Formats: sequence, C-alpha cells, structure tokens
Amino acid sequence: MKGNKKRKLSLEKKIGLWGIIFVMPSIVLFSVFSFYPIAYAFVVSLYKKELLSLEAPKFIGLRNYIRLLQSESFWNSVVATLKFSVGTFIPMVVFSLLLATFILGRKRFQKLFQMMYYSPAIMQSAVAALVWLIIFDPRSIANQFMNFILRTRGVDYKWLVNENMLILSTIIVYFWKYIGYFTVLFLAGLASIPKEINEAARIDGASRFQNFIYITLPLLKPTTTLVSITAMIQCLRTFSTQYLFVQAGASIKPIEVITLNIYNTAIRDRNIGRASAMSVLLFLVIMILTVIQLKISRSEETYY
Amino acid sequence: MRRVDTKNTFSKLLSLVIDVAIWFFLIGFAVFVLIPVVFMFTASLMPARDIMSIPYPWIPRTLHIQNFWQAIKGNDGKFLFPRSILNSLIVASLTTLGTVLLSALTAFGLAKYKFRARNVIFLIILSTMMIPFEAIMIPLYLLIVNIGWQDTYTGLIIPLIASAFGIFIMRQFFITFPDELIDSARIDGANEFMIFWKIALPNSKPAIAALSVLTFRAQWDNLIWPLLVVQSPEKKTIPLYISQFASEKYTNEGALMAAAVIASIPMIIIFLSFTKYFITGAELFTGRK
Repeated sequence: MKGNKKRKLSLEKKIGLWGIIFVMPSIVLFSVFSFYPIAYAFVVSLYKKELLSLEAPKFIGLRNYIRLLQSESFWNSVVATLKFSVGTFIPMVVFSLLLATFILGRKRFQKLFQMMYYSPAIMQSAVAALVWLIIFDPRSIANQFMNFILRTRGVDYKWLVNENMLILSTIIVYFWKYIGYFTVLFLAGLASIPKEINEAARIDGASRFQNFIYITLPLLKPTTTLVSITAMIQCLRTFSTQYLFVQAGASIKPIEVITLNIYNTAIRDRNIGRASAMSVLLFLVIMILTVIQLKISRSEETYY
Repeated sequence: MRRVDTKNTFSKLLSLVIDVAIWFFLIGFAVFVLIPVVFMFTASLMPARDIMSIPYPWIPRTLHIQNFWQAIKGNDGKFLFPRSILNSLIVASLTTLGTVLLSALTAFGLAKYKFRARNVIFLIILSTMMIPFEAIMIPLYLLIVNIGWQDTYTGLIIPLIASAFGIFIMRQFFITFPDELIDSARIDGANEFMIFWKIALPNSKPAIAALSVLTFRAQWDNLIWPLLVVQSPEKKTIPLYISQFASEKYTNEGALMAAAVIASIPMIIIFLSFTKYFITGAELFTGRK
C-alpha cells in the first residue's frame, strides 16, 4: 500500500467501476432490442424490402412514405385510429375524473369501488374482447339492453356489422377495460391536493359544485393533462381488441387501426419497407406526446 | 330568520339530492363494469341455446360443465389450452423475474455509484420510454428470426426484460436507501455484488412487489409479441389460443366463456392477494417526476 490519499482515490474509482458493471447488462439489452430496431425501422423505411426474401433490399429514398401518403389503406387507418382514439380517450378522461371525485367523498366504500372499477383491467385484452364479442351477438344482452332502454322490441342494433356501431363496440370494450386504471390515476392526483385548500373554500361558503369547478379542477390540471396524454398514447397503440374482432369475423375496414395495419402490411403483405415507414410515423407521433408528458410530470413539482 | 331557515332546508335538500344522484352514478357504473364479468361466469355454465335466449337467464338452470371440458380439450382434442396456460405462466413469470432483477441491478448502479456519464446513461434509458413497442415490433421480429430465436421462449422473453419504467421506479426507491447500510457492509468486507444481492435486494420488497405485479400483468396480457414470435401450437400463450379458439366456427359460446373464465382465474387470484400493489403500481405512474 502506498500513499493513503492515492489509495482512497483509486478505491473510489474502483467502486465507481462497479456502477458501470451494474448498468452494463441493461445498456446492452436496450441497444440490441430498442435502439437497434428503431434505427433499423428508419433505415428500412427507405428501402424496398420484402419479408424473408433473399433479394437484396433496394434503396428507394422516401418513396415508401410518398406511396403511403397516397394510399387509401393508410388514410383509412389514420381515420380509424383517430375515430377510436378520440372516441375513447375523451369519455375515459371525463368519466374517470368524475368517478374519482365522487369516490373520494365516500370514506367507507372508496376501496370497494376502486376495486370494482379496476377489475376489468386484470382481464387479458383478448379475453375482454372475446366476452364482449358474445355480448354484441345479435341475440345477446347488448341488443336486449338497448331494446329495454329504448323501449323497442326485437330491434337488432348491428353492433358488429354496421360500420359506426363496430367502431363504437371497440370503444366500449377499451373504455370498459381501462376506466378503472385511469380512475386510480385521478385518485392519486386528487389525494395530492392539500385538504386545507378545500376546507378553506368550504368555510368561505363555496358549494360543492363551486369547489369542484374553481378549486379542484384548476389544481388538478397537471394530472388531467398527464392522464389525457397517457390515455391518448394508450389508444393510439390499441391492437388486441381490433385484432380479435377481425379474427372472429368482423369487417376489417372500419377498425383497421394503424398497429393492425403495420402488422398486416409486414406479415400478410410481406412489405417490410412500407410497414417500417408506418412504424416510423407512429413512433414520431408518440414520441412528441411522450415528450409533452415528461415535461408536464416534471413541472408538477412546482405546482402549488 | 325564517328566510334563512328555508334557505338552509333547501340547501340541505339539494345536498341530499346530489348525494343520492352520486350514489346512483357510482352504483350504476359499478353495474356496467361488472355485468360483462358476471355474464362471462354465468354463460360459462350454460348451453349455447340458453346464452342466446331472450331474455338472458342470469342464473344458469343447470350446471353445464361440459363447456369447461370442451375449452380444455379444444376443438381438435389436443389439450392445447392447458399447454398455453403453462406457456403464459412460464413466459410471464420469467419475464417478470428478469425485469425485476435487471431493473434493480441497473437502478442500484445508477443510484448508489458515482461514475462518469451516469446521468447521460440514465437519460438514454429514460428516452426508450418514447419508443412504442408497436413501432419496433417488425424490426425486432426480423432480428429474432435472424438470430434463430423464433418460436422459442428465449425469443418471447429476452427482448422484453429491459424496462425503462422498471429502472425508473427502482431508482426512485434506491435513492432514499441508506448509504450507512452499504458502507457498513463494505467495511465488513462484502464485495459490491454481494451488497446488491444481500443488502439492497432483500430490503426493497415493496418496490419489487409493485414492479412484479405490473410486469406480470403486462406480459400475461401480451398478444402482439407472441403473435409474431410463436409458430408452433405448443408454444402458444393464452391470448393466442383464445383468439384462435374464437375464430373457429364450431366453438360454442359456452365453451368460449369457459375458456375466458379459466384464462382469468390466475390473474383474479393474484389481484385479490395483491390489490394494494396494483393500485400503488398505477399511482407510481402519476408520481413519476
């Protein structure tokens, strides 16, 4: 052993080295299974490449993107994805906010309600889609319920046949499955609002409604934005419900969301270049949303 | 004075009405959420003609357990459903184990060791949260085919075990982990890996539990990746089996619901035993800063 100072310094360095060793496996895995594929998607989107073909991919520049923007199938998917996402995330945010606010007041039953609303989230998406497929059968309870509510008799509402009803059906499945999850997110946000603020407003004579509109909602704005973007990203990535519905015989056109289109273009049509171009576009949209999301969750700290 | 009184009774009445309305809303919503679950369980015990009768008989007249037999046996009598349950359990458990160990190790390295580029590495890891799986699934699939992992458990598991979210959660936890514990272990002569294995890991049970539950749930639910990787019927996971079973024309509705019930049981058990962690898991998400 030489000088004490030198020894201490090298010891510290030695310990620091362990940190690098600990981090290494993750770095390797992320490089191979996240960064390489996304880079590959960018590169291949510039080539004409067929699935498992032995022919060398041919560089075609932006032609995959140009073709994509001219293709009816792509725009159909964009519309299908937008209809589904907007139709799902707006009711989801509104209802989960309402449910969370209402549950918060019920001291004894809060846990019970939370558990009930959350329970569909533990079902597999495929199972959820399957159960609802049976419910939407012309002879099953979806029609029976509608006939009961609307006082009609024996009307078939064509849940899985009519284009708009089919979209609505996928929205219901998704809404049903994830509403509890977003309710929990809102409950966490509500719990972080100091109780004193609400109490002070009460003493000043604010009604429950005023309290909600003028105090809770503004204070909850970061959570609301965060939950909205999370819900939006989730909706843009939907796949299972649509895939299962199509497997079971529903018509594909109204519900061929972008992820399903990527899958079909790559696997069924064997067009890897084009599927990659779509992947890149999906990536860019979700990346932008995620950046906003991260910004908001970081600014949440300085918020009272 | 009287006017104040009526105003008081009025506002009391109004508040009562609002209260009742809220109860109706909450209970009505609970009914909406639970009806498909109840439908699944009751229909699994009915012959197809009862399920499709108008009105739907909510209570099964007889217990038609043949449904479960058909679900387990499959339409071709090859008993692939039990196999797919086993596959799902294997894949979800091993992915969870891998994710938890790797996330903890990486997070411990990031939280408790000083080295150059530490923050850059953390940022790079966080940036992978921006990459949606659906955008890389096709190149990932080609990669798996090229290295010969198609139709293997390895191919189903390894690409999914590195999780930025997991590392993030574990790092949050380890940042507050007492340094004294680590230092005293060092003085006792433990090497750094032993400190991680014997001190850090056993002391992070709550974080590990929340991350495990989240990861298991996500992998148990995964359809898209097995859809790409798996080819042979014996390697199918439950979501794959279910989607194929649903598309076979001769499967009756009762058997489908029986399959749905069986597929849900493992997760129901886990949910009822670890409800707390499901809820904290979701909360951790909003809490991330």
